[in-house]
Amino acid sequence: MTTVAADTTALPPAPHNPWRDVLTGSVASITFTFIAVVAVGWFWVGPKFLSFGNISIMGTFLIVPLIVGAFSGPALLSGVVDLSIGSMVGFSSALFALLISLGWDPASAAAVTLVACLCFGGINAIAIVGFGAEPIAATLGMLVALRGIAWVLLGSQGAIFAFNIDMFNLVSMTIFGLPLFFLLAILLTAIAAVIVTKTRMGRHVQAVGGDDRAAARAGISVKKVRVAALLLSAFGAGLGGIVFAGQLGSAARATGVGLEFQVYAALMIGGYSILRGGVGNPVGGALGLLAVAGVSNILDLKAISPYYVNIIVGLLLLAAVLLDRLRGGDAYE
Amino acid sequence: MSLNQAIETAPPAVPLKVRFGGWGTGLMLLAVWLLLIVATGLYRQDFFSQQTVLAVAFTMSIVGVLAIGQGLVAISGGFIDLSQPAGMITASLVAVRLSEAGMPLIVVIIGAILTGMVWGAFNAAIIVFAKLNPVIVTLATNFIGLAVLFLVFQLAEVPLNSDIYHFGRASFLGLPAIFWPMLGLVLVVGFLLPRTKYGRRATAVGGNRAAAKARGISLKATRFAIFMAAGGFVGFAAVLFAATAGPFNPGSGNAMQLNIIAGVILAGISLAGGRGNFWMLLLSVGFLSTIPTSLVFFGLSSDTQSIFQGLILIIAVAIDGYRARKGTP
Amino acid sequence: MRNLLRVLAVTALSVPALIGLAGVAQAQDKFKLGMAVGGNTCCEWMKAQGDVARALAEKNGWDYVELSNNNDPATALKNAQIFVQEGVDAVIQFNGQAASNPAISAVMKQANIPIVTYDIADPGMYFVGIDNLAAGIAGGEGLGKIIKEKWACNPDLVVSAEGAGAGIVNEWRTGGMRTGLKNICPDIPDAKYVSFESQGDAAVGLPAARDLLAAHPEAKNIAVVGLNDGGVLALINAAEQLGRADGVIGWGQDGAFITGDNVNPHLAGSVFYFLEGYAVYAIKDVIGPIAAGNVPPLKADAGDPASKVQPCPVTAEQAKAVPDMNERVKQLLAAPAGTAEYDLFCPNKG
Repeated sequence: MTTVAADTTALPPAPHNPWRDVLTGSVASITFTFIAVVAVGWFWVGPKFLSFGNISIMGTFLIVPLIVGAFSGPALLSGVVDLSIGSMVGFSSALFALLISLGWDPASAAAVTLVACLCFGGINAIAIVGFGAEPIAATLGMLVALRGIAWVLLGSQGAIFAFNIDMFNLVSMTIFGLPLFFLLAILLTAIAAVIVTKTRMGRHVQAVGGDDRAAARAGISVKKVRVAALLLSAFGAGLGGIVFAGQLGSAARATGVGLEFQVYAALMIGGYSILRGGVGNPVGGALGLLAVAGVSNILDLKAISPYYVNIIVGLLLLAAVLLDRLRGGDAYE
Repeated sequence: MSLNQAIETAPPAVPLKVRFGGWGTGLMLLAVWLLLIVATGLYRQDFFSQQTVLAVAFTMSIVGVLAIGQGLVAISGGFIDLSQPAGMITASLVAVRLSEAGMPLIVVIIGAILTGMVWGAFNAAIIVFAKLNPVIVTLATNFIGLAVLFLVFQLAEVPLNSDIYHFGRASFLGLPAIFWPMLGLVLVVGFLLPRTKYGRRATAVGGNRAAAKARGISLKATRFAIFMAAGGFVGFAAVLFAATAGPFNPGSGNAMQLNIIAGVILAGISLAGGRGNFWMLLLSVGFLSTIPTSLVFFGLSSDTQSIFQGLILIIAVAIDGYRARKGTP
Repeated sequence: MRNLLRVLAVTALSVPALIGLAGVAQAQDKFKLGMAVGGNTCCEWMKAQGDVARALAEKNGWDYVELSNNNDPATALKNAQIFVQEGVDAVIQFNGQAASNPAISAVMKQANIPIVTYDIADPGMYFVGIDNLAAGIAGGEGLGKIIKEKWACNPDLVVSAEGAGAGIVNEWRTGGMRTGLKNICPDIPDAKYVSFESQGDAAVGLPAARDLLAAHPEAKNIAVVGLNDGGVLALINAAEQLGRADGVIGWGQDGAFITGDNVNPHLAGSVFYFLEGYAVYAIKDVIGPIAAGNVPPLKADAGDPASKVQPCPVTAEQAKAVPDMNERVKQLLAAPAGTAEYDLFCPNKG
């Protein structure tokens, strides 16, 4: 491990402490952004912004992005960006809703859906790791293909209704006044953060993303790490799609479309990089998603056109990558 | 100085194998394209009609011009320009407003191209001065640009029977009038890029920044030039788009994005920069534009076209990756 | 240290709870209407639906909150929750992505807030809108009359411009148009009916329209029906580009491209819904009574709606007398309360 650290300059050598990261690491800028968003919300919208009800609304909306974000983090960290996650969410919700509408029980439907997603993740892995395909290009192909498959599954009505009040109530269940699944997604993020920063496995992932040749010299199987990361990302998107279908009671052509850019923009605002591995932290990614949701919520509550959200997200994204560069990230020349 | 002279006059030091590899891509593309055409023709003989040629050529025209812009960004190491939809719709809107004001076609074209170049310069300014990666910058500017467009207009359309309207519906020598400028531009860019000082600079900057810098090529100036040129192509594509599209809205350009990137990748223009033959765009864009037409002849729904296009892209980049890996020690 | 953290945590958690209580305690006297617009960039009228609702709410002296569903089912569900939080007394929504309507219904039912849905029915929502199937049939019959007169009911092809993204509405409208055409011209063989995916957008649907025409190179006289005017225009533009527009007669739905200076000569007619003015119906028959304290019985079925919008089929000739959307909205807002655009502008009533 130490040889890896010595070889890379971009990667902080020691297993970093998430609390210290808040001030100095890749999470620093997002922490300040997040605080700024909360402050703006507090002063502009009023105390209602931080009420349990309002946090629940944001939380419910964030369940799927948080799950997808947490599981796609390792792929970004290991230096292979997976653009197919948005379409994978759409495909997963379509297949799950289709199976439910055919009378399957939710557990077997979910199992089959997840296996199907893993298969497509496997194709990504074979193309990228097996053949050395450029990740952005290969997963872009998968994005297009999966969207086609999802739309074929959805049929001529463009939607499958599988509304099940029990499933809806399960997903919208609250505990301590907050949505249970939102808390679970946060817990998932925390577990991911611990794995990434505290365990040998996590350090291997970061090492592979920081400098794959050095990692290979240090005896880490670069291929295994990247295959696992791509499968994990497909699994997370599959899970997200299933939760989506339960939450909305349906799958539609619009489900998951553009989600990859929304999630990655938020993750980049949260300190991840989609262009080089080894940078970022699940906590930062989750804060990025929360910050964007907060901005969107502020605009909703102030009745401002939602198109301003995209303007602000775009500016935040530029600011975040600029900060990352000023802190020692790769400069593009 | 003499070193400088050397690279700017001598042909690029490309190994024979790689050059041959470029033509290999071309032969393979031509083969699969012909296979698709022959298979469809055997299934339904009326595939071989002037109508099919027109349908494919119309689709090729706009995608082809945008692919030149995308290819320039890629070959110079900018990876991809995700802001093409916002840039094109902005320039299309300018084209519509100018033609509504009764301006002659040439003014409309110049106005749209200038708009595209300004858009490119805007991207380049952020990329060059903030030293940020073009992929993220253009992702952000596309977000911002589309959002601003939505606030500015909901619907636009060139006036019925204006010059630009007729340009979009005319044909010349059996092919759409809008096809010929695309063909000309691809041929010219493909010819000039490896044969002129500026073209070789652009490719060199993409291939090896450090080496290019060491040879005294200004990275900043080159980037600016590349993005403005790419924006100019986006602006010209916007003319073709506005001429043919009928009423369009700010989101009407999004659907093309993936097809354009796929065309660039299939043409063998490396997203990592430094490698690629723009003439191949005619084959890749032609092939990709024929797929949906063929599927209609086979009686398959248009949803299936994304499945084919996606899988073809994955296979193509896998083969490309495999070849690149074998080529490097 | 630990105790300090515990105190901090408890304080941090109790602040939002107290604020929530304070919010509930806040008195509500004014009637508050929530409106979720569709937010699909395809169509000008989606924005106008909100503008009209806002103007009418202000006229009635109500508070008005508008959100955009962003053409996304998940956003639509989130907006429903925000409406509940904002304490609205009633909601109107146009949810073009109706996939989340059952979930929205559940949220609204729990909060006991009545909700009006435009055009796409849901068992838990007041249905205000058009009978899309009837509108389709009316359009199909309008086109049929022209086809009968010009081509003796013998077109070479009947093309349907679909938009699967609109779900059941697409099936009603395009299916209805085919039915209407068959009512006038029953002998057109089924093999002549073909369709393409226009996505309801003239520009986006164009390549697919060209491909469809290429796949039927011999067809000369082509009748076009569609989900909306945009889809039909995609095929007309494609035919112009392939040099075959002379034999094309199209009839759209929604009337988006049949007014103004730029009407394509091959668009023979359309069916106005006056979508931008739906709020008049919703307020007259549902929201107004609710604000006055008499909640009307829930009528959720499109066949027996809470308020019925009349389709207004027009030929291109008749449509020349109809002002464009912005002008219509102006005149609508100047008209006496309860007057619908159908009454003001439909040149071809019943």
